[in-house]
Amino acid sequence: MAEITYINQSSSEEVNGILNPLVKEWFFGKFKDFSLTQLYGVKNIYGRKNILVSAPTGGTKTLTAFLGIINYIVELALKNELENKIYAVYVSPLKALSNDISVNLISPLAEIRELAEKKGLVMQEVRVALRTGDTEKKERVSQSKHIPHIFITTPESLAIVLTTTKFVESLKALEFIVVDEIHALTNKRGVYLSLTLERLCDASLIEPVRIGLSATIAPLDEIAKFLVGSERDCLIAEVKLLKKIEIGLDFPGESILEGESTGNLKKFYQMIDELVDKSKTVLIFTNTRNATERIIHHLQLSFPGKYEGLIGAHHSSMSKEKRFEIEDRLRKGELKVVVSSTSLELGIDIGGIDLVVMVKSPKSVSRALQRIGRAGHKLHDNPKGRFIVLDRDDLMECGVIMKRMIEKDIDKAEIPKNALDVLAQQIYGMAITRIWDVDDMLKKIRQSYCYKDLSKDDFFSVVSYLAGDYALEHRHVYAKIWYDVEKKQIGKKGMLARVIYMTNVGTIPAEGFIGVVIGAGEGKGRDVGQIDEGFLEKMKRGDIFVLGGQKYQYLFSRGMKAFVRAGVTRNPTIPSWFSEMLPLNFEVGLGIGRFRKLVKEKIDDKEKCIKFIQEYLYCERYVALEMYGYFLEQNEFSEIPDEKTIVVEKFKQEKEYLLFHSCYGRRVNDALARAYAFAAGRLKHRDVEMGINDHGFFLSGVELDEKSILSWVKSKDLKEILKEAIEKTDILKRRFRHCASRSLMILRNYKGRNKSVGKQQVHSEFLYTAVKKISNEFPILREARREVFEDLMDVKSAELVLKWIEEGSVKFKVHRVPIVSPFGLNLIVQGRSDIIKLEDKAVFLKRMHDLHLKVIKEKGK
Amino acid sequence: MKIEYIGKCLLINDKDEKVLVVGDLHLGYEEAMNRSGVFVTREMYNEMIKEFDEIFLNVGRVEKIILLGDVKHAFSGNLSQEWNDVLRLIEYLKGKCMELIILKGNHDNYLVNIARKGEIEVEKNYFWNGFMFLHGDVDSVELYDKKIEYWVMGHAHPAIKISDGSKIEKYKCFLAGKYKDKKVIILPSFFPLVIGSDVREDLNVPWEFDVENFEIKVVGDNLEVFDFGKVKKIR
Repeated sequence: MAEITYINQSSSEEVNGILNPLVKEWFFGKFKDFSLTQLYGVKNIYGRKNILVSAPTGGTKTLTAFLGIINYIVELALKNELENKIYAVYVSPLKALSNDISVNLISPLAEIRELAEKKGLVMQEVRVALRTGDTEKKERVSQSKHIPHIFITTPESLAIVLTTTKFVESLKALEFIVVDEIHALTNKRGVYLSLTLERLCDASLIEPVRIGLSATIAPLDEIAKFLVGSERDCLIAEVKLLKKIEIGLDFPGESILEGESTGNLKKFYQMIDELVDKSKTVLIFTNTRNATERIIHHLQLSFPGKYEGLIGAHHSSMSKEKRFEIEDRLRKGELKVVVSSTSLELGIDIGGIDLVVMVKSPKSVSRALQRIGRAGHKLHDNPKGRFIVLDRDDLMECGVIMKRMIEKDIDKAEIPKNALDVLAQQIYGMAITRIWDVDDMLKKIRQSYCYKDLSKDDFFSVVSYLAGDYALEHRHVYAKIWYDVEKKQIGKKGMLARVIYMTNVGTIPAEGFIGVVIGAGEGKGRDVGQIDEGFLEKMKRGDIFVLGGQKYQYLFSRGMKAFVRAGVTRNPTIPSWFSEMLPLNFEVGLGIGRFRKLVKEKIDDKEKCIKFIQEYLYCERYVALEMYGYFLEQNEFSEIPDEKTIVVEKFKQEKEYLLFHSCYGRRVNDALARAYAFAAGRLKHRDVEMGINDHGFFLSGVELDEKSILSWVKSKDLKEILKEAIEKTDILKRRFRHCASRSLMILRNYKGRNKSVGKQQVHSEFLYTAVKKISNEFPILREARREVFEDLMDVKSAELVLKWIEEGSVKFKVHRVPIVSPFGLNLIVQGRSDIIKLEDKAVFLKRMHDLHLKVIKEKGK
Repeated sequence: MKIEYIGKCLLINDKDEKVLVVGDLHLGYEEAMNRSGVFVTREMYNEMIKEFDEIFLNVGRVEKIILLGDVKHAFSGNLSQEWNDVLRLIEYLKGKCMELIILKGNHDNYLVNIARKGEIEVEKNYFWNGFMFLHGDVDSVELYDKKIEYWVMGHAHPAIKISDGSKIEKYKCFLAGKYKDKKVIILPSFFPLVIGSDVREDLNVPWEFDVENFEIKVVGDNLEVFDFGKVKKIR
């Protein structure tokens, strides 16, 4: 059975012992001693043991990985035994690795060579090559001719390389694989990579050593298994650097409630400005692209001229060149402030950041730690971080996250299992590489940790899809592979297979974002932001909505653009657009519930309560005071919800509302909300609107009988209920389109035609409808459901919550209230809403027509 | 003279002559999708025939059937699915009428080759009893002739978003109104895969129609059509 072992660090002498004298001389010429991470990792890597090295960002992980490898390769080079093959592959999910590789690999090799020359030693040339999606053809051809010894690449490019005919030969005797930034791979991209690694092991005659590098993340056992697959051993080096985190929680102004007015925003920018003055470089995280741009805009507006040329934005929608430029200027110390959405969380070396500011909750402890890890580039600087919040829910959330950061209570990451769309793409890739025996292929796939429990049925249904079986007489058009049932073999079909694969590989779906442009009036032609397809579908001409803090009136849309009018003063007619936000981690949600219970018990004693909050959350008195005020308001209004009490508030505001204060994070609330909305809809056979956020959810409809609704949903029925419920909402369609893209049902590039996202924007509705006509169990459709259930929602934890309710350890408390409560306000105003459509489209039309006639008749009277 | 709305089609009954008018079909759409890298299977033809069966069950045989153009989809050639489906459709429709008339739409550049094989000539527009049938993508002088009372066209793929304040659904629809001295009727597209564009946003025809004051008839299930009165009355 596969063994996962936690190890201790080696001693300096032990590491010294394995180093070649030349390498030793080079190392100690540059560094005083081995870093802690190196003491954990280097010897084991040299000793060919699979290992996962987990250390906070900035912990010299990259050099740790390379040192052992460089040592081995230099030894061979000195003995003139270096062969023309790839010895080590280094994979990182980051698009641009150049600077890190330069510092940690290319420079060391060059310096070692110089040293060798000085000493009169003859050393073979050690070749390093980089290959990403941007590598030019000329360079790729050159790599085929001069095989590199160390190959640097991305997960996607690695998959492509495996389907080449010539270059793949150089991987025949691979000895090391390094996977960096593993913490950024707990998603479908990582699932994809896990299969690529198995394919890599198939291409190589010897089994390469796997080295994983990760920032702070949990649970390490899972991540180790993810790295090495289900059947291999792995060591874990959990490097606990004794860095003390300096972190604080703050808000602008005297009280947060001022926050809605522009006055307080002014104070917010003043606060940022003061922090920037006190530091050399500040990195601000905002979670979204819109917020990033807004902050930069307002900082420059509030302090004209002061930030000229010293401030920059960094987010993934920016061009590669622009991002490089910012990263470069950061490294050189030319910028005072950089504002990022989430893109700078990953470990590109960006020089010295003194302070990391998080505006808006990072939603999980590991994310918060990763972000703070960007501060203090030298191993011995203490990272400094600050949360700046603008609303009271964020205040509470960041308070609990901060506590968990200080107490090193890290939340668990989850990796998707049995993702059929990624499987389809990879089976195709495997079939392109060679002909496979069906049983061998399944065996190989199951060696990936993400597919160890893949059922035969699922496997064959994907094979069936790829073989075009669903298309019946038009099979030849759709088939990407052939499957010979008698011979039990699978191979590729069509001459274009390799090209199609190479130009369409990847797991990141082309986002169907609609550009919003001013179509008439002042500013005509100006680009003002983006919304998503779903939001556009819900708009009618004349609707007024808010985007990036500004109001616009929707006129019409054409292709991938929505045209609007600006300068609108009337109130919005539809809810604002929010990009799909990071979900609050379930464990942090429970932590907030626990905190609330402890505060609730002391709520009647103001001083005792405030002192408690200060101690519990390690925060300042004025912060505790603000929180106390929020709790008090809620307590006086109805009741404080906590880990044992889900407060349910019923009120009327045109429609009837049932607002559940369930602090479990959006993923769990999504599942609960849909289940209860479905229950409510069934009872009256009408649609029920719902809104969800991390702290709760609401249902709204014509008549809501809470007694029947609450008692109807049982944990054992949850999956069945949700299966029906999601069929009646938009979310499934949208996710289906992503899965269709990943399983190559929709191709970005086909027959030389590279479609702009616009042209390839196949409307979700169209695709979904077309596929449902084929079969309700179409594997890609099933995958879309799985993705919605397991990745988007968290059905497992929702079941757990329902069980707690059934056991009685968590209770519902229903309160009738006149208006929405303090704790519920944000949810009503901002909650992402959706509708469970239980009413048939045709029935809806009839009903609207009757209504329409009635209105006309009334008017006629 | 009676004008009836039957599902997505128009039925004109004048002096005992029945004329069935059909909007844009876009046969070959799925193959066009396949060629641009989207792999959807081909169900549309069968679905359309099912709908036609229902219509003819209701209406019986007719004297004329007029296809308002965009019979096929691909601009720059004829796809194999188009050869197949267009010819099949021509045979089917010929069996339900005395005369089949096909107009040329902006997607029909090469339709003439297929139609000829089915022994039909493709026309620019067609006049009958005061009705001028056209595709609707180009204006032309002869449309304004005094003896023309009605313009009947397709092309615009009219649709409407209906909302009750929380939910929005989009439906195909007919538009009927006045333009200069002509009465205009715009048919929804017949092909089921795409609903169309909301008429209040962008009608995409070469005339400045007063859409707000046009009458709108919304297509539901089972050939039912609902009269909602004027467009401007819809919330």
